[in-house]
Amino acid sequence: MTRTWADMAAFESFLDDGGIVEVDDHMPDEYRQAVFAFIEMHANSELMGGLTERDWIPRTPGLRHKMSVLAKTQDEIGHGHLLYMVAADMQIKTREEMLEDLFAGKSRFHNVFHYQAVTWGDQVAIAFLVDAAALASQQAVFKNCSYGPYRRILKRIISEEGFHMRLGEDRMMRIAQGTDTQKEIFQGALDRWFWPALQLFGPDSKPDDVLLRWHIKSERNEVLRDKWVQKFVPMLQSYGFTVPAPDLSYDEEAGKWDVGPIDWEPLKRTLAQGGPDSARRINEAKDNWERTRWVRDAMDRAATVPA
Amino acid sequence: MIGLELAVHAAIASVDDPEYPGVSIVDLGLLERLDVTDAGDVRVGLIPTFSGCPALAMIRDDVLEAVDAVDGVGEVEVEWLRSPVWTVDRIGPETRALIGREFTVAVRIGTGAPECPRCGAPTTEESMFGPSRCRSVNRCTACAETVEVMRS
Repeated sequence: MTRTWADMAAFESFLDDGGIVEVDDHMPDEYRQAVFAFIEMHANSELMGGLTERDWIPRTPGLRHKMSVLAKTQDEIGHGHLLYMVAADMQIKTREEMLEDLFAGKSRFHNVFHYQAVTWGDQVAIAFLVDAAALASQQAVFKNCSYGPYRRILKRIISEEGFHMRLGEDRMMRIAQGTDTQKEIFQGALDRWFWPALQLFGPDSKPDDVLLRWHIKSERNEVLRDKWVQKFVPMLQSYGFTVPAPDLSYDEEAGKWDVGPIDWEPLKRTLAQGGPDSARRINEAKDNWERTRWVRDAMDRAATVPA
Repeated sequence: MIGLELAVHAAIASVDDPEYPGVSIVDLGLLERLDVTDAGDVRVGLIPTFSGCPALAMIRDDVLEAVDAVDGVGEVEVEWLRSPVWTVDRIGPETRALIGREFTVAVRIGTGAPECPRCGAPTTEESMFGPSRCRSVNRCTACAETVEVMRS
């Protein structure tokens, strides 16, 4: 059943009443564009994240971690697959166009995938800090998301990201209880990943943020970021690591940690594909897509041959 | 000992699949064997949906913890069995309905097209590969929903 709304005010009041928009509804163009851009960035991030994870399949310390890296890779690529389907259904860009734009550096993916993971310690920091930040953001979208197809996919993605969090905690516990060298490796990774993970939430939400107004997101960026800080700063310290924030302070009265001023320049650079590892990663993803074309062709041909 | 066995069974049933919060591993058909001796020693035999499933260590730890917490339990052993092989037939109708409703995930039973959990129409396979080895990605022919299908 296709629904239509007289004007934006009627549509917004439908959303404010908790209305859920479905793919064949006549939604306002601005809404369609905003939801599409959001899902496209999520899809791109799953694909880029999956490729990062994949890089570590041959290099994990031990079989236990190899299984978790394999599983995470399949999860992320699978999530990307589902999200590209949902995004393409919005009929703004086809999946091919989205991928072309990604490989041409014309569309965005999360800041954390513009950096290089140098050691296994980086993978632990990513699984522990970045996955937690991504999960918190996704949960805040899922809680109240007005676009039905995305909300239903998010429910499954969040369950699986919750599983990744547990794998991240497992990796973290192992390295935190490890040798001095292992702890040094993790501290080095923490120094590299603390700020990018924190910046994943983005700068403070603007008062007129349409993502909030149209119930695509349900929490302000600064609220989510603060929750993350309050959880991870004491946790990292309890494991004996140093939080790389020179102006870190604790407000006794409020019972809260403050990381001090945040430099948003690195985030802006990554969004313009100017991060430390952006160019290599985008080229890698493009090459990978070309190299695996024959597999997709073979699958397509197999599907057209009668059994 | 029947009382203890029931309590242990309930403890195992309280363990959810790590990728489906709210869905018990017992309802997914993972519990194959449960032996409780007169002394209260427990042996649990589980079977994996897929042998390379990355959640095996986690599920085993969760079962160990749940069973250990039961009053009167002695030694606990949890092992992954190599047979029988898990199939989707081990998922009961209520659990199928639950994961359809909660996660928009269908279960492939028999050779017919899996039904869309949202509208009941047949789905067609979009990709053999989903986010997990035990799932493919389908699309509903009526409401166009993106559906994952559990298979064995």
